[in-house]
Parts: sequence; structure tokens; C-alpha cells
Amino acid sequence: MNKELKKLSLSEKVIDKVNSGQVKMKPKTYFVLKTSLFFLITFFVSLSIIFFISFIIFSLRTSGIWFLPSFGFKGIGIFLISLPWILILTAIVLIIVLEIFVKKFSFSYRRPILYSVLAIIAFVVIGGFAIASTQMHPGLFLKAQQEKLPVAGGFYRGFGNTEHSQIHKGTISNMIDDGFYLKTFNEEILTIIINPKTKLPFKEKVKVDDQVLILGKRINNQVDALGIHMIKNMPYKPMHRNR
Amino acid sequence: MPNLKSELTDEEIAQIVQKGESESFGLLVERYQAKITRYARKFLSNYHEIEDLVQDVFIKAYTNIQSFDTSRKFSPWLYRIAHNEFINAIKKKAKESLSLFDLDSLFPHLISKEKAEDEINEREIRQMIDKCLNYLDFKYREPLILRYFEELDYKEIADILHIPVSTVGIRLKRGKKKMKFFCKKYHE
Repeated sequence: MNKELKKLSLSEKVIDKVNSGQVKMKPKTYFVLKTSLFFLITFFVSLSIIFFISFIIFSLRTSGIWFLPSFGFKGIGIFLISLPWILILTAIVLIIVLEIFVKKFSFSYRRPILYSVLAIIAFVVIGGFAIASTQMHPGLFLKAQQEKLPVAGGFYRGFGNTEHSQIHKGTISNMIDDGFYLKTFNEEILTIIINPKTKLPFKEKVKVDDQVLILGKRINNQVDALGIHMIKNMPYKPMHRNR
Repeated sequence: MPNLKSELTDEEIAQIVQKGESESFGLLVERYQAKITRYARKFLSNYHEIEDLVQDVFIKAYTNIQSFDTSRKFSPWLYRIAHNEFINAIKKKAKESLSLFDLDSLFPHLISKEKAEDEINEREIRQMIDKCLNYLDFKYREPLILRYFEELDYKEIADILHIPVSTVGIRLKRGKKKMKFFCKKYHE
């Protein structure tokens, strides 16, 4: 009996608070708006990560850093040092934020975190490569160079075409006995020296008019090539800052 | 004349409350008061404000009832609110430490469901929980209470605690093992 009274009393207490207006039910629209906002933020965070990853790919291709691992350990070392770590860390932080958002959904929290993290990484990397294969970034980069991109212009100019002192890109203008002359995208002529240790393009011989990327230290106008990479389908258009 | 509403399911009553009949919420309070109080007493055995906490759970449930999807089960939704309230109470008092990150949730595990336990075994586990639950960490305490006292299944417990279903199995298994160890150590 006592227990029954106690039971009723809690129920009554709650209903009394409801009837007196101390406790109010939040309207359905509040939850609809909250859920919509949640989805919207999740969507924009996903888009931001895809943007960053595609931009990283674009920036690596534009600078030539993308091709360095094909030059062996030395190339891999320079590749790791030259990666745009600020952009990569930003993308990692955004992935963690997205994981926190996705963990609110039952399809995600019912499975181990590793699964959702791997799914997110696969999604953003595929998305990043897809966007990187379009002309979006080259187009925006060109606009940024022409000072026609107001908001992201500085970002594109700052990160879009980072020059590396040991990477030289251009077109072969003349073949010589121990190498060739390279006309760079900056209209300079460099003498590229090929030695027995130079990593050459697989199965192919370089010839005049080939577009190539050279890894090697430049001394005056001469470069002892550590590696040569053919750029058949130029993933970027050679662009220069209008300065 | 029998009260027709008492024949309704929790979800049907919740739907009626959502449509504006607030008084019907009392029925849900009556149905779950004992369960939520038991959950609180077992989970927060060192706390004195259990009644206030349970009341807060129902008030929060009423406030947020429009967010409840009536096509799903009501009890995990209510237990989730209770879980959050109890965790907040622990954090406020900071009596015991709560680990924010759990490796069990990070990697996949084989779902180690218990073998069909007979009634005697279950009764034994309940008795152990009564005596030795306090020796366990919160992360092991909660699944044991929800499984053996509230009789919820793995998926429901996963929904309440927001952890993977396989982690529920791991925590139950480890929780029982640890509990047996402490019971043997301190009560035999």
C-alpha cells in the first residue's frame, strides 16, 4: 500500500509540475530544427574534408611533390618532409569532428569506432580524388592568381603552388651527351645532368618536347638529376604568379 | 469500468502525450518508476538523491517526448535519458572516475553472447550483483544491471549506452568475471 502511494506520488509530482507550467514540453519543431542543423553541420564538415583532401592532392600534383615517391627512398624522404602538414592536420581534425557527429547515429555507435573511422576515411579520400580529378581547383587557382577570388584567394595563392628547391618542372628543349636542357615553366633554361644513379622513367627514353619533373639539387643553372619523371597528362596547367 | 489506457502500449501512450494529453504521461511514470529507481539504486549505490534523480529523468522525458520516435521502443529511449542523468550526477559529484575513452569500443570483437543460462545461473548472477556490484567500474556495472535486472537485450543496451553491440558482450563477460573474483575475495 505504502509502495503504491509512493508510486502515485512521483507520478502526481511530475503531472503537477506539468499542469503548473513549471515543466514544459519542447515543441516538435525544436527537434526538427535541431536534427536539420545537425545534418547540415555533418554535411558541411564532410564537404570541408573532401575539399581539403582534394586541395592537398591538387597542391601536391602542382608542386610535383606527388611524384617524388617514384624516386625511391630519397624521394620518399623529401616527399614526407614536403607534405603540407598544416592542411593534413586540419583534415585529420575535421575527420575527428565528423566521427563525433556520426557517432550520434545508431548505425555508427552500434559498431566499433574503427569501422566508422575507416568508412569516413574511405568516403572522404574517394570524394577527394573525385574532386581533384575535376577542373575545380585549377580554375579557382587561376582566379586566385588573377586576384579574382576574394575569399579563398590568399589560401590558393599560399598553398596552391608551393615551390620546392629540388623539384624542377618543364619541357625538354635540347638533348646533350650527358643529359638535356630543360625549359622550366618560369622560362629558365637548366642543364640537367644524367648519371648512372639517376632514376629514369620506366621503359621510356626522354626526348625533346617531353614534359618532365626532375629531382635534384640545383647549382647555378645545372642540376644533377637524382630522378626524372615523365608527366604525360599534365595534371595541372603550368601557372605563374603574376608578379 | 476498467481504464482503457492501461491496455495501451508504452509507445501508444507516448503518442497520446505527444498529441497534447499530458495527463497520460502519469501512466508511463507509474509503469517505469520502479524500474528506473531500481536502475538508479544499483548504478549509483553511494548516492542519496536517488528520488530527485528519478524525478528529473521523468521530467526530462516529458520535456523531450516530441523527440521520441513512436515507431521504436519506448524503454531504451527512457533508459538512455536515465543513463545520461546518472552520468551527469556522477560527473557533478566527481565521487568516482569515469573514463572518457574506451578501447573496447574502438576495435571489433566477436559478439560473446552468453550461453543459454538457466534460471538458477541467472539467479546466482543477480545475487552476486546485489552483493558485489559496487566493486566494479561503472562501465561494467551498467550493462550487468540492464541485462540481469532490466532484462534488456544486447541491442537495447547498445542503444542506451551508445556503444557497439559487441562491446556490450565483452563488458558483460568481463563484468561477470570480475564480479565473481570480488565476491570470492570479500564474501567467502
